[in-house]
Amino acid sequence: MSAYHGAMVYDTLFGIDGEEAPQPQMVGKYGASDDKLTWTFELRDGLRWHDGTAVTTADVVPSLKRWAARNGAAQLMMQRVQAIEAKDDKTFTIVLKERFGLLLDTLASSDTPTCFMMRKREAETDPMQKIDQVVGSGPFTFNVAETKAGSQYVYDKNATYVPRGEPPSGIAGGKVVKVDRVIYQNMPDSQTAVAALQAGEIDFYEIPPIDLMAQLQSDPNLVFEVLSELGTVGMMRVNHLQPPFDNQKVRQALLYTVKQEDMLRPTFVDPKWFHGCGSFFTCGSPMENDANMAWYTGGQNLAKARELMKEGGYDGRPIVLLQATNIPYMSNAATVLAQQLRSAGFTVQLEPMDWSNVVQRRTSKAPPDKGGWNIFITSGGGSSYSNPYIDIGMAANGEKGWYGWPTNELHEQLREKWINAETLAERKAIARQIQDNAWNFVPHLYYGQWTQPVAHRKNVTGWVHVPEIIPFWNVQKG
Amino acid sequence: MIGTIVRRLLSMLPVMGVVAVCVFLLLHLAPGDPAAIIAGENVSPENIARIRAQLGLDQPVWRQFLVWVGSLLTGDLGQSMFWGDSVTSLIGQRAEPTISLAFTTVMVAVFLAIGLGVLAAACAGTLVDRLVMGFAVMGFSVPVFVVGYLLIFVFAINLKWLPVQGYTPISEGVAPWLRNLVLPSIALGMAYVALIARITRTTMLDVLAEDYMRTAKAKGVAMRPMLFRHALKNAAVPIATVVGNGVALLIGGVVITETVFNIPGVGRLVVDAIARRDYPIIQGVIMVFSGVYVLVNLLVDLSYTFLDPRIRD
Repeated sequence: MSAYHGAMVYDTLFGIDGEEAPQPQMVGKYGASDDKLTWTFELRDGLRWHDGTAVTTADVVPSLKRWAARNGAAQLMMQRVQAIEAKDDKTFTIVLKERFGLLLDTLASSDTPTCFMMRKREAETDPMQKIDQVVGSGPFTFNVAETKAGSQYVYDKNATYVPRGEPPSGIAGGKVVKVDRVIYQNMPDSQTAVAALQAGEIDFYEIPPIDLMAQLQSDPNLVFEVLSELGTVGMMRVNHLQPPFDNQKVRQALLYTVKQEDMLRPTFVDPKWFHGCGSFFTCGSPMENDANMAWYTGGQNLAKARELMKEGGYDGRPIVLLQATNIPYMSNAATVLAQQLRSAGFTVQLEPMDWSNVVQRRTSKAPPDKGGWNIFITSGGGSSYSNPYIDIGMAANGEKGWYGWPTNELHEQLREKWINAETLAERKAIARQIQDNAWNFVPHLYYGQWTQPVAHRKNVTGWVHVPEIIPFWNVQKG
Repeated sequence: MIGTIVRRLLSMLPVMGVVAVCVFLLLHLAPGDPAAIIAGENVSPENIARIRAQLGLDQPVWRQFLVWVGSLLTGDLGQSMFWGDSVTSLIGQRAEPTISLAFTTVMVAVFLAIGLGVLAAACAGTLVDRLVMGFAVMGFSVPVFVVGYLLIFVFAINLKWLPVQGYTPISEGVAPWLRNLVLPSIALGMAYVALIARITRTTMLDVLAEDYMRTAKAKGVAMRPMLFRHALKNAAVPIATVVGNGVALLIGGVVITETVFNIPGVGRLVVDAIARRDYPIIQGVIMVFSGVYVLVNLLVDLSYTFLDPRIRD
């Protein structure tokens, strides 16, 4: 929701287009020195905050620093940055300590927290604190008076916004607003939302339940559209600090135990909306490859899993699997996973709790029987897992890293190599090596990939396909 | 009388104190980390720890309790961890829909239930009595959300008479305000109607069996004045008690009804807050709901003195 809100109100220096390439957005001219260590950016003309003042580099520099304090990929970028400096009101530079081929991709990424530009006043707020005013320079203004926190968010067309001239593509291109107002309504009950959409009380429903799809598809006034082709990827984190998954063989046994489609079928029903994916990188993304995927292409192999469990010395201890019961797809996946693990010979202790309890419990490094855990289930946008550096969960830097705390020196070296690579071909080759190694040491597993269609009234058209956010520019109601 | 009211108001203080301790302890002993929820997925444990420290969640529970109670005593319900807004202002934003829903539900329920209860008592043992009591049992047994979905399906989707969801403030007109409240009030009022109708019938039957009622009948007093002027007046105290006790039922039902009909009220606010472990909102709303419940019961107690002169004397 915060990303959706941000994309309405704020603008970005660069945006990822429909081909996953970074394109300038608030930036006009830009370029790098011959040694690619100094990048110079010039803000384009006509950029104004919603309070009427001009956007200057005095705003941009602290905005970049605020974003870098919270975004994992930006932190990697900042390790290579020597200085970010304003040269004049419209020009700023990023000086690198070493070449960084992903600079523009990082600035353009739509992964959260996104690199939104805000006024100096707000940008200088402690990055871990909420800002007290929402004043952006994006295509919509935030209507505070009519917004009710947690219930209704109102955005009005920013009449002074100057869109780029290019057609919209991804979150790049011209953000031309064609409606006067957009109202986000937080509707907790899917049945009510479906009824409201059918009755024409709302125009758009972000997550129509797949099990109600048949009912909805019979309505000629509704259209279903997948706005994010990469969809969502389901991830299973295993705890590398505690037995039995501190043992590589036992983790490998999981690869042969899990049958991804079975974990998704109870929720997504129709294979049209979900599929398995054996790649370490999101299927459909440029880094997807087939290195070391025999465990996947061969299908579930419980005999092999048992063999690996034996080699790894699995002693029958209970596997504590955290189940977020208030998120249906996670809860269903955990139930099926528990059964698959039992079929392979694991003893499983399924621990039902709500998601907020999972996010607390997963921080524990204690043994599973003393408040710790062995496996939890989560998910991320397809773009998050489409490369090895955007998402914090793609690292294997041990206890400094994300929950599960995998450690693998080669993985970290390869990530570093990938980040420093300068061409797509080079990156693809390194991605194969990363995957080859990853499916040996098994930092985590996936339980498939799904695309969630949105539902909208037939008379609302012009939806731009973007991962992670729902853009309302270019949308018109006829 | 004023002395009684003051004494009763003072007696609320220990009750509210117990509520405060229970709510705080239950929330803080239950697992869940608001900081991790606020931070989102792609955030390092260090950043979550920083957020936790900023929210004061790294402090001992007893200190957090004292800080909260200190604020409470000055009338400050604290700030939402998630939104940053004051809990008082958030409750203020959401109060109108909830008060409107509660008001229309009580109005519909009390008038309908008393009418049905009196009718069932007057026709005791007949088919009418059985139908009314059958309706009451059904109203009490069918969950609010089932009634809600059925009403939406019939009256909003099929007949298109009323809107599916939402709330229109009364400032935009009484008619649109009522249009949005009809279905939720019926859904929420069903159990309330059942409860009041049953107690009205039972009490009325007791009163109708009294000697003075037989005398009134023998003297030729017509049925309607006998039921409403004599019998109902004498049956009013137990009915008022049930109406007051039913407020707890109403508060529980409001939470579900607001979710089903997408009404942005206090019930929705607290449900969302529970999912996010937004302690100040949960604590604030429960304190307000508890205060309302205790106050309503005080008003019911005071109403006895008006309904029954013997108690006043």
